[in-house]
Parts: sequence; structure tokens; C-alpha cells
Amino acid sequence: MSDSAVIDVGALTKRYGPTVGVEELDISVAAGEVFGFLGPNGAGKTTTIRCLVGLLRPTSGRVRVLGLDPVADHRRLAPSLGYLPGELRLYPELTGEQTLRLLADLQGAPTPRRAELCERLGLSAADLRRAVGEYSRGMKQKLGLVQALQHDPALVVLDEPSEGLDPLVQETFFALLTEATAAGRTVLLSSHVLPEVQRACGRVAIVRAGRLVTVQSVAALREARARRVRLTFADGAGPRPLGAADAWSPHWRGDRVELLIPPREVVGALRGLLSLPVEDLTVEEAGLEEAFLDLYRTPTEQPEEDS
Amino acid sequence: MKHRYPLLWLALHRRRRMLVALLIGMAVFETLIVVITVTVSPQEIFAGGGRQPPGAFKAFSGSTGDVSIASYPGLLGGGLVHPFWIALQLTVIGSLAAAAVAADVESGTIELLMVRPISRNRLLAERTAALALASVALNAVATAVVAIGVVLSPRLHQAVSLSGVFVAGLLGLAFTLCLAGPALAVSAATSRRAYVIGATISFGAVGFAVNFVALAWSKAAGLRFVSPFHYYTPGDALAHGTIPWGSLAVLTAVGALGTAAAFRLLARRDLAP
Repeated sequence: MSDSAVIDVGALTKRYGPTVGVEELDISVAAGEVFGFLGPNGAGKTTTIRCLVGLLRPTSGRVRVLGLDPVADHRRLAPSLGYLPGELRLYPELTGEQTLRLLADLQGAPTPRRAELCERLGLSAADLRRAVGEYSRGMKQKLGLVQALQHDPALVVLDEPSEGLDPLVQETFFALLTEATAAGRTVLLSSHVLPEVQRACGRVAIVRAGRLVTVQSVAALREARARRVRLTFADGAGPRPLGAADAWSPHWRGDRVELLIPPREVVGALRGLLSLPVEDLTVEEAGLEEAFLDLYRTPTEQPEEDS
Repeated sequence: MKHRYPLLWLALHRRRRMLVALLIGMAVFETLIVVITVTVSPQEIFAGGGRQPPGAFKAFSGSTGDVSIASYPGLLGGGLVHPFWIALQLTVIGSLAAAAVAADVESGTIELLMVRPISRNRLLAERTAALALASVALNAVATAVVAIGVVLSPRLHQAVSLSGVFVAGLLGLAFTLCLAGPALAVSAATSRRAYVIGATISFGAVGFAVNFVALAWSKAAGLRFVSPFHYYTPGDALAHGTIPWGSLAVLTAVGALGTAAAFRLLARRDLAP
């Protein structure tokens, strides 16, 4: 483990009877980092997060958060932790104010940022006087963000944080993330909303079926993965064989075809494609979404990691 | 206002309307029992035709000794082992035992609570305290109503002492704690409130049935020792006014063992929906 690692997970395995939640997962998150955690439903993101915050006991492996064991040292770790669950469940009969006060009482720490956060996220005093059961999903999520951040924790763990937030509030949320990292806080952000991760995170771990696929910087992930190649043919003959490029799952629309080609294969593929009657050609870097989907399509035996 | 015991407050606050309704229900029910007991002579019920009630009917008077339901202590004791009284007690136990752990796990709210700097022991301790407070309140209401009836009626006061009423109330509390312990253990081990409520009802209903069968059928007499109703004897307490220390110890010990098991089970389990 690195001395500066806020989150240090080694060979983490969590099983539920015969079902594997996560297996042999390795992650290290440094102080001040916004770290993305990506994967489809059932990939093991929430299981990992629950191990990090001490709700689940690992079956095997090492979990250290801020140098502490999340289960054994829970009472020492929790004061430094802010957590937004993926499926935020609140007590419907409590008002927003009662909910925040209850959670602050349990936290046992001052809440210097509560008023500011409520104001910036658009939770008015009238909203806070209403029962949470009357809240929309977006309002509940705002309340969830306030309770996770109101005590100004050193480590913030957010599971699907922007679910239900309108675009304006999402902007505020990203501003809060930026401020948190500027203040030296560490953020672990789990999401399947790829643009969110692309925008907020420096590095990202991708998990599939409980296993780590890769840990890379967002930029490197985008750089290392597919190029989107678009071709338009001039002869109006529609879909046709593309030779070796048929291996890259061509998507036809009339005389236009789109392929996602790994960077090292682009030049070779283009040599073959340009022997065809091509009218127009564009090659662009695939977004994180494409990189992400590419990783899911291609089983990876050994996780890759960049520094 | 800052809550010193937020988990206790939460458990009671969320169920405050139900608890108030149960307390009123208990007061009304015991008032009816007292009024009926005062207005109807026990001899008119069973002994008028020269018959005595069957021995197993002692199960309905809360006695394992010599107290017949055809007596004032027996009739008042009947109000303290009546299915309605049992139902009210089981509702409080089942609801608050489920609220201790299982309900929060099932609903997912446990994720908000247990990422705070509080221990699992504190969670269960505050929730156990909430259950104990509700049980104390319910038994206090029942005891107070019966005590007022005894004070106001010379006929009752002649047959039942006030100390007997308070001993019966104490046994009632021990009985509820006896059922609460295992119910808390189920709550600490499961993630479904229905399991806790089902287990609580089973403890109460099966316990009553086993005691009745043991009293009615001599070959099954030994079974009575596994029923909490063998040790919960408000009819005997009302008649004699003495504390049955052995029974009190058994009821309390079962409750304490169940609660201790709950702490142990909670410490070892995962806390996630």
C-alpha cells in the first residue's frame, strides 16, 4: 500500500453463499483524488463500497480506509466519512430537517456546511419542513448529498450521486466536487453515468462481474481504447463486405458505416477500407462510453493499471 | 433539539401513534375487565349450577396453582392473559423488535445509520431500550387500571390486595421481556421484519397453546415448563400477593439470554439490504 493511499483494497473478495459479489479486487485511491468506479448493475460496485464503509465484512482480502479497518475500527473511521448510498432510503414520516438533525446527532459532529449546502442545492426552509415521504426523487437525492457532506468529511463515498438531479443541480454538484478536492478531500464516485465520471474523475476503475477490468486515468482510458471510424460510400450500393474490417462490428445506415477500431489496428484497417469507393471518412477518438463498452465486450484476464 | 439517544427516539417517534392506540386499547380493555368482574359475581358464572370449571381453565385465569377463574383474582387474572392482552403485548414486541435491526436492513435505512460513528452494540442497546420502555408503559397502564379498580371496589379489594396487582404487573413486564429477548435475536439475525413479527406471534401463541395442553392433558404435563405462560401467573399473584421469584427469574433469564444472543448475532452479520 502507498503511504498516501486513503483507500487501499487488496485481493478483496466478498461472497454471499455461492454468489460472488466481488473477487480479488485491488484498488488504491490517493488523498485528494476523485476516483471513479464504473460498472454495470451487478458488477460489484455497491458491494465494494459497502465493504469500504464497514457495512459488509469481506470474505477475504485487505480493506483499509484512511489506514483503518472499516469494520473493526468503524467508530474511529466513521467521523471522517461521508456516504451517499446508491439506493437512498429515508424515513418517510420525518421531515427533511428532522432527517438531517437525526443523522447529525448520530454523527456527533458539528455540521458547519448544512445551511450552505441546502441553499446551493436548492433545499429551501419550506422544503425542509415537509415530510420526506412527500419529496420527489431529486429532492431526496439533494437531502442525501447534504447529509453526506454537512459535516465536511475527509473522505466522501458517493454511489450514483447524480441520480434524479436536474441539470442545474448537477452543475452545483460538480462544483462541490471540485471544491472538495481543492480542499484536499478524497472522493470515491460510483456511477454508470459515464459523462459524469468523465467530467469529475481523474482515474477510474472498471469492474465487470465482480472482477476488476482496469484502473486507468480517464484520459488514458479514452486514449487506449477504440477510435470511431465513419465511412460514407459513393456508389449507393448499401451494406457490403468490408474485408478484415468486418471484425470491428460495422454498424450500417444506408451507405454509411461506423466502426469502433482499436488504435493499433486503425491504420491497417483503413488501408483495406480505402480500396473501396469511399466518399467521406472521419476518424475520431471514442468517448469514455465507447471505451467502457469496449471493455465490457472484451474479456480481460489481467487488470491493466497505469500510474 | 439535540437527541441524546437518537436511535431510541427514532424507534418510538416512528411508532408513536400505534403506541398511543395500544395504550388506550389496553386501558379500555382492562377497564372493561374490571367493570365486568365487579358487576358479575364469580359464583354466578360457574358454581351456580353446582359445577366447577375444568382445571385447564386455569390457563385462562393466569394460574398454575389453586386460583380458579371462578374467583375475583381469577377473573382479573383472566384479563391479564386474555388473547386481547396477549395481542397488544405481541404487537408492541413484534413491532419494536423488528424495528431494532431487521426493519432498517429491509428498508435500506441501515445504510444511513451505520456509517456514523456508532457501534452495533449502541444500535441494539437503544432499540432494546425503546422496546423495554414501550413494554413498561403498556404493563403500567394495565396495572394502573386494575389497581384503580381494586381501590374503588370494596368487593375486589377484599379478595385482591394492591400488592398482588403490582406483582401481577411486574410479572407481566417480565413476560414481555421474556418474549422480547428471542424476538430481538431474530431481528438481529434476519433482514425481514415479517420474520420477526412471525416469530414473536409464534412464541406467544404456541406458548399459550402448549401451556393449555399441558394443563388439560396429564400426559403432556411436562411440556408446561417450556411455555412462558407456565411462569407468567397473574392470577396466582393477584390471589396471594407474593412475588414468585423462581418464575420471575426464569422469565427474566430467557429475555436476557435472547437479548445477549441478539448482541452476539448483530456483531457478526453484514448490515446491508
